[in-house]
Amino acid sequence: MRPSVRPDAAVKLAGKAAYGMDLDAPGMLWGALVTAPVARGRLRSLDLEPAHDLPGVVAIGPDDLPSLLPPSRGEPDRAIFPTEEIAYCRQPLAAVAAPTWAGARRAAAAVRVVVDAEPALVDLESLFPEWPGPDARRSPNVLAYVHAKHGDVEGAFRTADRVVEETYRTAGVHQVALEPHACLASVEDGVWRVRTSTQSPFGVREDVASLLGIPESSLVVEGTWVGGGFGGKGASLVEPYALLLARASGRPVRLALSYREEFELGRTTLPAVIRFSTAVKEGRLAARRVRLLLDGGSSLPGRDFATGYAINFLLGPYRTPAFEVEGYGIRTNKPPFGPHRAPFAPQCAFALESHLDEVARAIEVDPWAFRAAHVWRDGDETPLGQRVGPFGLRAALDAAGELARRWRAEIGPGEGVGIALGFWSTNTGAGGEVRLELAPTELRVVQGEREIGSGSVLAGLAAVAARATGLPPERISIDYGDTSRAPFDSGVYGSRTVGALGRAIVEATASVRRTLAERLRATEPVHLGVDGGEIVAITGTVRRPIRELLRPEERESGLVATGQHYARTGSIDESRVVEGAFYPFTDFTGSAHVAQVAVDRDTGSVTVTRYAAFQDVGVVIDRETARAQVEGAIAMGLGTALTEEAIWSEEGRLENPGLLDYRIPTLGEVPVPEVTLIEGYPGAGPFGAKGLGEPPIIPVPATIAVAVREATGAHVTELPLSAERIVRALKLL
Amino acid sequence: MASFELLTPATVDAAIATLRAIEPARRVVLAGGTDLLLDIDDGRAAPSQVISLRRLPWRTLDWVEGSLTVGSTLALRSLEKEPEVARRYPALAQAVRAVGSVALRHSATLGGNLARAAPASDLIPVLLVLDAEVELVGPTGSRSLSVDRFLVASRRTAIAPDELIRAIRFPEPRPSAYLWQRVRRVHDISQLAIAVAWSPDRKTWRVAVGGIPPRSVLLPEVAAALGGERPGSSELHTARARASRAVALVADRRASEEYRRQLVGVLLERAVRSALGGGAAG
Repeated sequence: MRPSVRPDAAVKLAGKAAYGMDLDAPGMLWGALVTAPVARGRLRSLDLEPAHDLPGVVAIGPDDLPSLLPPSRGEPDRAIFPTEEIAYCRQPLAAVAAPTWAGARRAAAAVRVVVDAEPALVDLESLFPEWPGPDARRSPNVLAYVHAKHGDVEGAFRTADRVVEETYRTAGVHQVALEPHACLASVEDGVWRVRTSTQSPFGVREDVASLLGIPESSLVVEGTWVGGGFGGKGASLVEPYALLLARASGRPVRLALSYREEFELGRTTLPAVIRFSTAVKEGRLAARRVRLLLDGGSSLPGRDFATGYAINFLLGPYRTPAFEVEGYGIRTNKPPFGPHRAPFAPQCAFALESHLDEVARAIEVDPWAFRAAHVWRDGDETPLGQRVGPFGLRAALDAAGELARRWRAEIGPGEGVGIALGFWSTNTGAGGEVRLELAPTELRVVQGEREIGSGSVLAGLAAVAARATGLPPERISIDYGDTSRAPFDSGVYGSRTVGALGRAIVEATASVRRTLAERLRATEPVHLGVDGGEIVAITGTVRRPIRELLRPEERESGLVATGQHYARTGSIDESRVVEGAFYPFTDFTGSAHVAQVAVDRDTGSVTVTRYAAFQDVGVVIDRETARAQVEGAIAMGLGTALTEEAIWSEEGRLENPGLLDYRIPTLGEVPVPEVTLIEGYPGAGPFGAKGLGEPPIIPVPATIAVAVREATGAHVTELPLSAERIVRALKLL
Repeated sequence: MASFELLTPATVDAAIATLRAIEPARRVVLAGGTDLLLDIDDGRAAPSQVISLRRLPWRTLDWVEGSLTVGSTLALRSLEKEPEVARRYPALAQAVRAVGSVALRHSATLGGNLARAAPASDLIPVLLVLDAEVELVGPTGSRSLSVDRFLVASRRTAIAPDELIRAIRFPEPRPSAYLWQRVRRVHDISQLAIAVAWSPDRKTWRVAVGGIPPRSVLLPEVAAALGGERPGSSELHTARARASRAVALVADRRASEEYRRQLVGVLLERAVRSALGGGAAG
């Protein structure tokens, strides 16, 4: 197959794609944030005068908010600037704007901040040295608590042949999008307007409007080209500050984070501690207890979701007669927890798959066979009582097992082959809509998302529209508008773009066909085609140019039809929920990965020599884009597996806020993976597609951990699997 | 990035005169800039003048009677691409390839690396064991210093405010090796590195450790333990034991003290075996 040219390639290669970092406006000021020097403490004073004294500088702090905000004063629980308690290091305390970048940085440095530092809560385990007790839920440091139970757990543990107990620890990881957060804001005639590099223009509108206490209708958000999101650009971050500075100065204000600030202020996956207790009877899982301590940082957006969804991935896609899970979200003095590609699922899979390996070894069963004996089949029940299917994981596991056997036959000393599984579900989010405009020579798909680099918008939606209409892709254009013009959509996250907007396209296409059928008085179904450069409607032997079917008022707009897709999920058995919220899955997406590694036992260095992914996709919508998503996810997952780790000092300061000491993989560490896309197990998306942005990252750290153990015997229970941890596990230190 | 004036003197005399004309605290000297520009970008350095050496005729590589002299502003990539360097000074070639990435090595220089005296320098341990000399030029002429005397501490050297590094001179070729451990193969800094060289008369060794603050150091007692002849397993064992005690191995965010202790022995033995030709050492 000839590789297709990505629709965004030309504009990006020519340097014509304007990212958030590139925005410019006449009379623009540059913004900068004044941030907390400590992770926890009381703000004694904040003196903006030295900044005000600099030429052309506008500075705002908490005292200025009443005059800048409408009377509603925004969300009381989420302070734009804290007035007393500092919650994390580098929390914004004030903001400045100046005519130059350097001037803004100077002004920010000139603001005098006096704080009384207090001991920061950084280490997740220091708060509850044993484990949170029954009263812990009332602690102000517990942000979320979820608890579910099913079956005779106590009985199963009492009568078990074997109980395996283990504790795992995972690290904070950053998204490392190439482009830091950046936006350009203005406030004119009562309209608050921001152009921003975001995964979700409508999400930013909702978030910023509620923060500032303004109606959503008075805020217009326009997405720019996005230099990578990976979850980090789903919610607002810099936009409220830029808007307030624009309002205070009466000028457009551009606020862009430096890469250091991106690390320090960005919201991402934080550390966790996971404890398993697994009862085995006659070679089968009899009951499982899973406990999770998740670092929520200074706040946990989505509270129960972070813990109540994560728990699913700690139970995993395995039959479990009885279980009990408890999850705590713990407040620490770090930035708020935020999503990172398949939020927290790779960490869960690492812990669970490593643990299942340990259980299988403990009872002397082949780890592959042990997984195969328990993995869900269609019609099984999830621990929370949802019916499973259609699910391609068993097929993926079989294919992975066969490949692993072949690789194992070829390896030498110091090498090992590992298999691990992952599963996920397309998140339909708050839903979305599209508008189709069928013109004489093109079909325009108007929607509210910008391409963030994955290809899901420009390649994915175009492929769906081509398949739905029968038109060639070059006849389809993907248009977007700002939030005042585009139909609503909740954003590019949760692997949902093709799934949700694709379904909306299919629905809108059906509406187009119905309208055309009426106008043609057709008795047979209407198809679209191209004749001599024009789009034609075809029914039976009739072929009519669209041009002739448009009404006078449709000359500009074309024939318009809208489609919607809102969440459609299964249900769980609520009787199994003791406390908190748990969530059903929209569909079931399985991944099985195989890695071959070579490990230097004396130094702990790991080389990933071969990698293969078997990915359940439902149906392939755009093969190149799908393959690229899997390859990219593997590269990113290898970072989580081997090298990426946010390190905080005891005082709560991020010690490695830069790309030198926060190490993402380079091409030197990433082998070209073998990618197999498995079709035939349809999901919730158009034509049975399943979301693909997140699932392929999930099994990567687990697969590497299992392979390292195969190669060396080193059982590492902490991410990342650094060379040092491997040497330590081998008892050489 | 903050603004500064860029000066590009065309001759050595003009460069020295420029150095003398500007107060040292207000100016910096720019060679490849791969380290310095990060400091300026981060605000750790805020010079009003930057004196670039790019027009000076020092991008040279000369062989005199089989020994090598490298001009201080020669790009590391040029050094790397000279096949004779890898043949005669294997440790130097291995260390150059360890620096940053190909793109960075097109800019980075040996003189710049030495002048910046970073504790994590990949090149300095090799310069130490190869007994390299630093040629300095100043208003009153030139002088030479051994690299060991040139380095004072982390980020501090014996260079005078009005001196420049003109070249680095390597004495006659000898068996040598440089091995490092790092989290990532490229674009990274060594957690620990070992350089070894065997004297041309095969009677003495030099061993240096790098990648640990405050600076790369020679380990004479470890070198002594290797003896004069081909070291056997008992010599290697003694040398490993001494190496793990010989230097204060600190913990930092790149590695723990125990891990560095493990590495120092492993890398030392491997480096000696590599210098001996990859075969069995004894």
